[in-house]
Amino acid sequence: MLLALLISNSVGNILVERYQGVPTEERLHWRSFLVKLGADNLKGAKNEELLVASHKSVYIVYTVLGDVSVYVVGKDEYDELALAEVIFVITSTIKDVCGKPPSERLFLDKYGKICLCLDEVVWTGILENTDKERIKRLIRLKPPTEFN
Amino acid sequence: MAQPLVKKDDDRDDEADYSPFLGIEKGAVLQEARVFNDPQLDPRRCSQVITKLLYLLNQGETFTKTEATEVFFSVTKLFQSRDIGLRRMVYLMIKELSPSADEVIIVTSSLMKDMTSKTDMYRANAIRVLCRITEGTLLTQIERYLKQAIVDKNPVVASAALVSGIHLLQTNPEIVKRWSNEVQEAVQSRAALVQFHALGLLHQRSKGVHGHSNLQIRQNDRLAVSKLVTSLTRGTVRSPLAQCLLIRYTSQVIRESAASTQAGDRPFYDFLEGCLRHKAEMVIFEAARAITELSGVTTRELTPAITVLQLFLSSSKPVLRFAAVRTLNKVAMTHPMAVTNCNIDMESLISDQNRSIATLAITTLLKTGNESSVDRLMKQITNFMSDIADEFKIVVVEAIRSLCLKFPLKYRSLMNFLSNILREEGGFEYKKAIIDSIVILIRDIPEAKESGLLHLCEFIEDCEFTYLSTQILHFLGIEGPKTSDPSKYIRYIYNRVHLENATVRASAVSTLAKFGAMVDSLKPRIFVLLRRCLFDSDDEVRDRATLYLNTLGGDGSVVETDKDVKDFLFGSLDLPLVNLETSLKNYEPSEEPFDINSVPREIKAQPLAEKKGPSKKPAGLAALPTAPATTVDAYEKLLSSIPEFVDFGKLFKSSAPVELTEAETEYSVNVVKHIFDSHIVFQYNCTNTIPEQLLEHVTVIVEASEAEEFSQVVSKPVSSLPYDTPGQIFMAFEKLEGVPAVGKFSNMLRFTVKEVDPSTGEAEEDGVEDEYQLEDLEVVAADYMLKVGVSNFRNAWESMGADCERVDEYGLGPRESLAAAVSAVINLLGMQPCEGTEVVPSNSRSHTCLLSGVYMGNVRVLVRIAFGIDGPKDVAMKLAVRSEDESVSDAIHEIVASG
Repeated sequence: MLLALLISNSVGNILVERYQGVPTEERLHWRSFLVKLGADNLKGAKNEELLVASHKSVYIVYTVLGDVSVYVVGKDEYDELALAEVIFVITSTIKDVCGKPPSERLFLDKYGKICLCLDEVVWTGILENTDKERIKRLIRLKPPTEFN
Repeated sequence: MAQPLVKKDDDRDDEADYSPFLGIEKGAVLQEARVFNDPQLDPRRCSQVITKLLYLLNQGETFTKTEATEVFFSVTKLFQSRDIGLRRMVYLMIKELSPSADEVIIVTSSLMKDMTSKTDMYRANAIRVLCRITEGTLLTQIERYLKQAIVDKNPVVASAALVSGIHLLQTNPEIVKRWSNEVQEAVQSRAALVQFHALGLLHQRSKGVHGHSNLQIRQNDRLAVSKLVTSLTRGTVRSPLAQCLLIRYTSQVIRESAASTQAGDRPFYDFLEGCLRHKAEMVIFEAARAITELSGVTTRELTPAITVLQLFLSSSKPVLRFAAVRTLNKVAMTHPMAVTNCNIDMESLISDQNRSIATLAITTLLKTGNESSVDRLMKQITNFMSDIADEFKIVVVEAIRSLCLKFPLKYRSLMNFLSNILREEGGFEYKKAIIDSIVILIRDIPEAKESGLLHLCEFIEDCEFTYLSTQILHFLGIEGPKTSDPSKYIRYIYNRVHLENATVRASAVSTLAKFGAMVDSLKPRIFVLLRRCLFDSDDEVRDRATLYLNTLGGDGSVVETDKDVKDFLFGSLDLPLVNLETSLKNYEPSEEPFDINSVPREIKAQPLAEKKGPSKKPAGLAALPTAPATTVDAYEKLLSSIPEFVDFGKLFKSSAPVELTEAETEYSVNVVKHIFDSHIVFQYNCTNTIPEQLLEHVTVIVEASEAEEFSQVVSKPVSSLPYDTPGQIFMAFEKLEGVPAVGKFSNMLRFTVKEVDPSTGEAEEDGVEDEYQLEDLEVVAADYMLKVGVSNFRNAWESMGADCERVDEYGLGPRESLAAAVSAVINLLGMQPCEGTEVVPSNSRSHTCLLSGVYMGNVRVLVRIAFGIDGPKDVAMKLAVRSEDESVSDAIHEIVASG
């Protein structure tokens, strides 16, 4: 299960936060834990360089893309490798939507589209789509090319 | 909230740097959302407003119920628009709003229409939304479409249905189970993601066996799984993700078939080994992990997996290094020798920038290292310790402890390491881990004792944790006197009496006394120190000093301490503390002093094995009349034999068993409610009626959400429940003393089920966790009332007198009949009807009912109720209560008033 997807700006303000199977009272804890993890480790990291951590039986993979930091948290079959796959889909989709690693402003400009993409990538804690071209079509309600 | 940042961005001017959501405010956005209601919809504008709403929601902003409802209703209007982009937004918005059950109905028709639409993408999205927001009955209505969708030609539609299925498994597993054929077909799909999702659904389903499953189905399941794995491992799997799931699935099959195929090669091992050469790293890891986790894995099987993992240790990607070292760390726990080849690569990871990786590397090395490498390793770790968090440090300390026990000759450098890190900064848990490790080393390695004790002494000179100081002082008192030169510890201990808080001072006094009692030559000097403690500001410290001075004897001269005194002061108290506590509580001050010998020593573990012979009942419990053993007696005996319940006091009442399962179900469970003054114990009597099953770790998960006045204090599961052998599970709840708290509890039986071969009666080794829903259980006012009759009601009533009488009148509203009303009130109060007054002659318009009982706290209660019924079957009654305690009389009225 993919427990959380969180995107923050460079100083740790939340831009997108989605949880699945995480009790409401624990969400705040996760938020601050992840933001602190990023603050401690993401400084100087290259775009899309993946960092990894584990906390009890939960895995965390996170990265930086332009001005935003992306965190994904998973457990069981969503271990560090599966999460790396998920975060790759997310970053490549964001880059695709924004045309480049986004500044915060650019990210917010494309906010609606990014939300739709994320909805296609992860749904109810499960990785649903992995191909950015396909996602691009899906958010415009176009069937995937291989089907047409 | 995200704030606009002033950045020195390269290609933008300052003005453009402001966030499009700058100054966004919920109220204003909700106002804007009114455009959804416009007769002429502007799709672009509507999309913008939805984006703002999404932004607010993603920021953790919440809508009130009214706001959410309003937004939801207006969003549903947008289904009228034909704009594709907007429709996609609407789907997302509805999911995010997750409307309540009574609102869902507004969109279902629109969504159902979309679900059967010719436009594929409408179908896919409508499925996702519907499965997210609906449940139960509606699902059964759309099930047909979902099944069709799973095998839809469009992969997006199929995936949507499959992922919804995974989601629904948690809430409506029965429905998803009916899709087997379609899912099997989807597994063979040519679309990579459809295959992945179908496998995911199958895997999820086989993992969590829900609800009322029975053996037959699961056996069939297993066969099907095995067949599926066989066909897939030979066929084509279209994505690395799916391949990983298949590997997981395969390991499950291997695990489950392990018992049946003892001899020969392990099935599917070749498949796993083949996956080690897959081009996707994800698959390689999954296969390597699967191999390392095989039960009884041989070195030959393990080697190829370890080899690939070793290669990844020097990967440039942190994720891969982490995955490799994490897996090897696990292997090192069971097969340390297999991992030693990787030690050199592992050592270079100690300096890895990623602390998670470094810690895993170190703890692996500590497990696999040999005696000669310990010193070098410790040097490396010392540098590393200063810049990691406490949680990692604790892991390292624990690893060092086991290393030291493995190589006792190396205790010197390991003990030094521990004492060094003990001096550094750190939180309680970390310090405690170090102290625990030192204590264990002192106990297990005799040579380490003296240096270890001195390290502890130095630590308490500057220890901020009272708990740790007292623990160490206690430990010093036991071990210190046995050393070659006990006097050198005295200074450290006596310093505590000067410098610390009262708790630590009291501990120090006890420790000093122990030295005095055990080491005769030190006694005179200890006496001097103890006398000084007589002037302490804290009474506990003074009391202890006085006690020790008076009992140790010898008046400060060098004499041997009496053995009895030593035993009294420092011997272990070979009494169960709970029993002692109960006895003390029940001791009533009298001429006769409390006799510690009257405290029962035994704790009966298995209550049902009734022993003949002298009664082992705790002395404190009031002696029962030697009546023939009734059910109540048996219950009381049973409960008083369980140590956790001993201090609950006297059992007031045990209810009749309440069935929590229907007749002839797999597991039969009834429950008896035992009422104590401030506790209530539920005794679940469980019987497993399936000969092919052995249940283990059987417990009942009791949810007291509708019984807020109760809090669970004890849970006593049953370790094993073989076929047809009843077992008892106990759950105890605390409530306020003397308060007749009521409430509703939901119950779920949870256990590990193991299959039993009926011919041999032997159970399989591996079990599956399962749950079984039981009926709810209610605690009602009547549970606090004992049915005790009187032979002559009038006499009893008169002799009770009117001192504590309470009278009031109640309207019961329309009732079926007068008799029904009478019996309802009798049941509500749970009292004994007297003189046959429970029977109401037919056609009577009025009736008097006499009841008697004993209320919680052993208070006798008598009740006289005059019922009357008028034309439209409205029943009224006049309730008169007499008891020995007016608060009880009031309580009875309260029961009736709130019933």
